[in-house]
Amino acid sequence: MKRLVSMQIPVVFLGGQYNHLIVRALKELGVESWMIRPNVRLEDLQVDGLVMGGGPHSVNDGLERFGNLPQIIERGWFPMLGICLSHQLLGFLLGGRVVKGRKPEYGRTIIRVIEADEIFQGVGSEFVAWASHNDEVKQDGGRFRVLARSDYCDVEALRHESKQIYGVQFHVEVAETPKGKEILKNFVKMCR
Amino acid sequence: MDTGFMREGEVEEVSEMLRSLGLPLRVLYVRDRFIEALRGKRDAEEKRITFRETFYRVLSKEAKKEGCDVLIQGTIAPDWIETSGGIKTQHNVLEQLGLNTVDRYGFRLLEPLLELYKDQVREVARYLGVRLEASERQPFPGPGLMVRCIGEVREEKLKVLRAATSVVERALGGLRPPPNQYFAAVVEDERSAASHEAERAVREVLPRGRVQYFNCRATGVKGDNRAYGKIAVVSGGKAGTEDLFRLPEKIIHEDGEVVRAVYELGGEGSGMGGGSTNRYAVLVRAVETRDFMTAKPYNVPMELLERLCRDLLEIKGVSSVCYDITSKPPATVEYE
Repeated sequence: MKRLVSMQIPVVFLGGQYNHLIVRALKELGVESWMIRPNVRLEDLQVDGLVMGGGPHSVNDGLERFGNLPQIIERGWFPMLGICLSHQLLGFLLGGRVVKGRKPEYGRTIIRVIEADEIFQGVGSEFVAWASHNDEVKQDGGRFRVLARSDYCDVEALRHESKQIYGVQFHVEVAETPKGKEILKNFVKMCR
Repeated sequence: MDTGFMREGEVEEVSEMLRSLGLPLRVLYVRDRFIEALRGKRDAEEKRITFRETFYRVLSKEAKKEGCDVLIQGTIAPDWIETSGGIKTQHNVLEQLGLNTVDRYGFRLLEPLLELYKDQVREVARYLGVRLEASERQPFPGPGLMVRCIGEVREEKLKVLRAATSVVERALGGLRPPPNQYFAAVVEDERSAASHEAERAVREVLPRGRVQYFNCRATGVKGDNRAYGKIAVVSGGKAGTEDLFRLPEKIIHEDGEVVRAVYELGGEGSGMGGGSTNRYAVLVRAVETRDFMTAKPYNVPMELLERLCRDLLEIKGVSSVCYDITSKPPATVEYE
């Protein structure tokens, strides 16, 4: 029997409600996925890509809970996707600011794509997504480009200025984000 | 185990089903132990932990009697994710919290469904040929009606809830496609005023609408954190359900302590005076969801809701009926 070697994209567990759903979504796309802790070492990551999940903390309370993620984000050679809290971590590490949202989003929101990018290929310029966050990213001259926004949040998606490192404030892994699977698929394609 | 928090006729139905499989069944009638343990407790987490402790103490005693040292239970992914995430304590999560069940209760655990969500469990059940009444059954929480009896549990309140549950299940069970879960909850119909800002936000959607808060708290989830806050009651003015579903966000933007909003379908109203002995509000919840980690309120046709409201008001003790219009997040599916 022919054995297919599938791609390996683990998910960094940061204690969020949907971290395990990311693993489920990646598996449904035929990717080998499992949860790893943030104290994983970069040299032990023999992977095709990395997804980092959400969590209940704030980056403004210190970076201890993020383990080795700052070094991994700085020096990793594979595509990365940060979701929710990890999106905020990316914004923070790439020179933006993270602030408490004046009108936090819990549940349905409309994402408006403002810069075309392969991560949003085939999903249109506006789509429904679900979010759940108290903090949000502000750009303020950070080393990233803003790809999408919503009525209540200026940075719904970002991309590193030169690498395939992405952040999304909304949740691509939940069933209520109908285009989420497509976005995740676009990310998986980059990992090949 | 009949905890006293099962639905009308459910103990008999479940017993019947298990017996028909040829399992050596014994039903433990332990309602009084639960009611006793919960007396005077209003806090949702305190109630849940009390339920868990009572539940496993009863099980532990029976297991010892029977010489059992393994407990097989159906804990699934959302159970340990929500419990270890501090959203709410599901009663069937023990080892993941560091509780040693061998020391505490005398049995080891076997939890074969730990990695699965409800929709995946159904798929496994169908694959195994489990009968439809089990594989397609709507979810019902371990602590049962306890978590839908918001605040303190009392016999009279529980009786109203049980009657309301039957009415809601009959009325909404026929919807196609069926809501993934649909049920009633009950709370003392005591309210306080909301802020002017919240009133203004409601009027943007319902020009003649008003908003109050129930004097109780309910569970929610905001930004991966537990929220235990107010239930807003919107009343007055007509609107389609899609418009109503926009209200919770608007209210929460004005008052961050609100975790969910309900729309009052009808009731005795303030015109009835003080003579009424009816004192409970029934909250109707119906949701659409794949895996129950996120959910949206089900778009029940307004005329069906109005009929349901009239039927619920017939139940002795019910003073008003509301329809829950909140998604998860910021609310959870259940109330506590």
